[in-house]
Amino acid sequence: MMTMSTPNREDLQATWSYLEQGVEKIMRDLNSGMDMNTYMGVYTAVHNFCTSQRAVSASPALQQAGVHRGAHLLGEDLYNNLIGYLTRHLSGLKQESQKHADETLLQFYIKEWDRYTTAAKFINHLFRYLNRHWVKREMDEGKKNIYDVYTLHLVRWKVDLFDDVQKHVMDGVLKLVEKQRNGETIETAMVKSIVDSFVSLGLDENDSTKSTLDVYRKFFEFPFLEATTAYYQIESKQFVAENSVVEYMKKAEVRLAEEQNRVQMYLHPDISAPLMKTCERVLIQEHAALLREEFQVLLDNDRQSDLQRMYNLLSRIPDGLDPLRTKFEAHVRRAGLSAVDKIADGGESLEPKIYVDALLEVHTQYQNLVNTAFKGEAEFVRSLDNACREFVNRNKVCKSASTKSPELLAKYADSLLRKSAKSAEEADLESKLTAIMTVFKYVEDKDVFQKFYSKMLAKRLVNFLSASDDAETSMIGKLKEACGFEYTNKLQRMFQDMQISKDLNDSYQIWLKSKPDNGTAVDFSCQVLGTSFWPLNPPNTPFNIPEVIVQTYSRFVDFYNEKHTGRKLTWLWHLCKGDLKANYCKNTKVPYTFQVSTYQMAILLLFNDQLTISYEAIENTVGLNKDFLDPSLVVFVKAKVLTISPSNAKPGPGTTFTLNTDFRSKKIRVNLNMAVRAEQKQEIEETHKTIEEDRKLLMQVSFDFSVGCRGFVSHSDATVCDCTYHEGTQGHEACRPRAGDNCTNTVTIYSQNPRHQEVHRHSVGERISGASGRRTFRLPCLGMRIIHRSNGEFDEVSRYFFSGDNCYGSVQCVKFSRCHFSFRRAGVADEKGCLMDVITA
Amino acid sequence: MVSQIKLMSSDQATIVVDKEVAERSVLIKNMLEDVGEVDEAIPIPNVNEAVLKKVIEWCEHHKGDAPATNEDESDSRKRSTDIEEWDQKFMQVDQEMLFEIILAANYLDIKPLLDVGCKTVANMIKGKSPEEIRKTFNIQNDFTPEEEEQIRRENEWAEE
Repeated sequence: MMTMSTPNREDLQATWSYLEQGVEKIMRDLNSGMDMNTYMGVYTAVHNFCTSQRAVSASPALQQAGVHRGAHLLGEDLYNNLIGYLTRHLSGLKQESQKHADETLLQFYIKEWDRYTTAAKFINHLFRYLNRHWVKREMDEGKKNIYDVYTLHLVRWKVDLFDDVQKHVMDGVLKLVEKQRNGETIETAMVKSIVDSFVSLGLDENDSTKSTLDVYRKFFEFPFLEATTAYYQIESKQFVAENSVVEYMKKAEVRLAEEQNRVQMYLHPDISAPLMKTCERVLIQEHAALLREEFQVLLDNDRQSDLQRMYNLLSRIPDGLDPLRTKFEAHVRRAGLSAVDKIADGGESLEPKIYVDALLEVHTQYQNLVNTAFKGEAEFVRSLDNACREFVNRNKVCKSASTKSPELLAKYADSLLRKSAKSAEEADLESKLTAIMTVFKYVEDKDVFQKFYSKMLAKRLVNFLSASDDAETSMIGKLKEACGFEYTNKLQRMFQDMQISKDLNDSYQIWLKSKPDNGTAVDFSCQVLGTSFWPLNPPNTPFNIPEVIVQTYSRFVDFYNEKHTGRKLTWLWHLCKGDLKANYCKNTKVPYTFQVSTYQMAILLLFNDQLTISYEAIENTVGLNKDFLDPSLVVFVKAKVLTISPSNAKPGPGTTFTLNTDFRSKKIRVNLNMAVRAEQKQEIEETHKTIEEDRKLLMQVSFDFSVGCRGFVSHSDATVCDCTYHEGTQGHEACRPRAGDNCTNTVTIYSQNPRHQEVHRHSVGERISGASGRRTFRLPCLGMRIIHRSNGEFDEVSRYFFSGDNCYGSVQCVKFSRCHFSFRRAGVADEKGCLMDVITA
Repeated sequence: MVSQIKLMSSDQATIVVDKEVAERSVLIKNMLEDVGEVDEAIPIPNVNEAVLKKVIEWCEHHKGDAPATNEDESDSRKRSTDIEEWDQKFMQVDQEMLFEIILAANYLDIKPLLDVGCKTVANMIKGKSPEEIRKTFNIQNDFTPEEEEQIRRENEWAEE
């Protein structure tokens, strides 16, 4: 029986030949099944041999080794015999493999590999006693090249078979993959099996229980990538020669997807990154120049999906997109400029709406493109912003004056917010206001916008022409969000004043009733507006208040002084208006009502006393100077309220005016209070002048950089710069502060752009004549770029100020060059008060 | 249903045992996996009936134990000579049987049982003089007096 068949445990020869039979059966004939007796027999034979008495006396070879302590473990003989067996077995396989090539070789390799590894698992179990004792001891003692029996099988496979056949196997694999790339169907499972086999053969030299991908990388991945490179190089060159760039991009997209898919289907996930990189290099990088050349063509034809394709491809290679961004920026700028060119011929009479719409249209078009084709990528957004900033601030319309954009934009806002016959729907209005903000974002001269906007807001408020309070508030809110509290402070105060005035009028009415003669003939209301918040100037003409309203006027003054002592009221007669009832007209039963300005009222009231009055008499009585008197008279003459003599003459000395009692009008209310065109123009000029002056004031602050000046501002984006200076003890003498002077002046510059939310605080000397105290100026310092030089070469700084090489355009350079910056090279360590801090918020 | 298998001892006795119990032996477990289950009794050529029964008794009792293959655990098991109470009682057998159990556990690849066996022997040695150890295990002193003296001198440091 079983015990009979187990060999003599002392006899190596007998034991091994018994074991070899078992091993051979497992290797060759596992399919026919393994009987339990053989299984137990082999195991027992290994056990018995390893525990035989020879263990005590040990073999001479082992005694020589002398490294063993304690009981010696037998097993080396079995281990070496097993190696011998495997080597013979594998060399047989190697010979057989030479009969095969390509696919049949792959089949052979996979079949043999499966058989061999399955057998190895069995043999590993059968030799478990050897693993547990002899192998373990050898490994514990740090012997190299001793493996458990299963690993030994893999090691022998690698050494005795793999090293010689791997090249042929890989050739087969690569041919197979090439077939698939050419569109043929292949048995992908074969490749997968090969991959698995190669991976299994990677053993960590230092720890055989761990595996590495070294073998796989060297013998599979490397040749695979090389073949891929070669394949696609040839294919792409040929394809490009015969097809359009767009076609090529489609092809490349398909190929890249295929390769990605290939990894999932049957390759090792580890190859994914290098394979993609290889494909990207061959398919994209090597043709990048060609693709980029096509970019402009695609832009010109607005080929969104092709642009998206190009973006996707070039975004996969390093620095692939930079050249596109440059081209894109230039393209958008050109588109913007030419859009403006088309409408710019209107000259002065250019409709603000048309202008703003033209800008917006370009912006919207390319923003959509960025969002759809370029995935809204931040860098492209920036290119778009750069381009928009360029064409918004420096286009044909702006040629006459760089401030044209903010001016037109503010006008457009005014036209939306002003009460008119065709007031926009609320939702529509809101979206238009948002659109204004889009353009506003790009406007560099934000102070110009502010000036115009506040002028127009003032007008809307004073004349009650606002279409909706909600819309006004919403717009101010948007501006505040974009530029901060300071920017909209005055606008908000203007709003508040309107409310305060309303209350004031109410209490005036109550006050009036408490007076004995409360029945005054004139309805009266007024607004009291804070001087510092409203962009309104007192009238620059003398004016004699008409008798009729003197009483009303002085009464309110009394009331106001009673309420607030010490406040000075300046009457803005040029903004006042009133209604006059014309009882003299023969042609109507219902008297006409004339809506007139106070100046006009004063003139018309004169005709209560006589029907014809000379120009000089009017001039004398009313007291207005020519600039205000003449236009008022012109309106009357045009409306035929008055007739001029000699007829067709212009108002002026020598003319006389007669009340036209035959006056006719279709309407009962006749509006004569119309601003004259010239006045409007003048107003614009005035606004520009105010801006200039405000800017100049600020520039007079001369910066005096001193010790420790290491850095300064680099704001390339729209910025509002608030300068606050305190005048110190030095009074208004032109001075530069010295160390220890109480004359610390600060300039705070902050950016409105959220990307540059730094606050820079600088100590500067100031050089200004004016009242002492604290004043705040505001100016845009768009694109102001001042380079810092640690060696204190401020010449360099000033060069940047004045030449503006790196500044955005010339606008602010002109501004800066008008003012006198004086830079001084400071001595070392003498002005500690003038250290500059850079604070990053 | 608990599946059962048959084992055949070296003295041709057939023992029926739960598969789960028998699989405490890694040898049997591997074999069942590799060869597949069979109706025939599995030959255990190196273990006789009495010992095999004893081993199975241990396996029965420990069938619920979590497989302790973790390295740390085997380390801590090695360090301590503590033996749980049931195992102590189980090991109260004559020396002959004790050694047979150890050999069987080694052969059948039942590591926890092998450990218990070895610990039991270790406890028998602990605290005994060489002479007492010789007596306990019935070992003949085959050193010459000179040899013995030399070894004693070499190991003097350990005696303190």
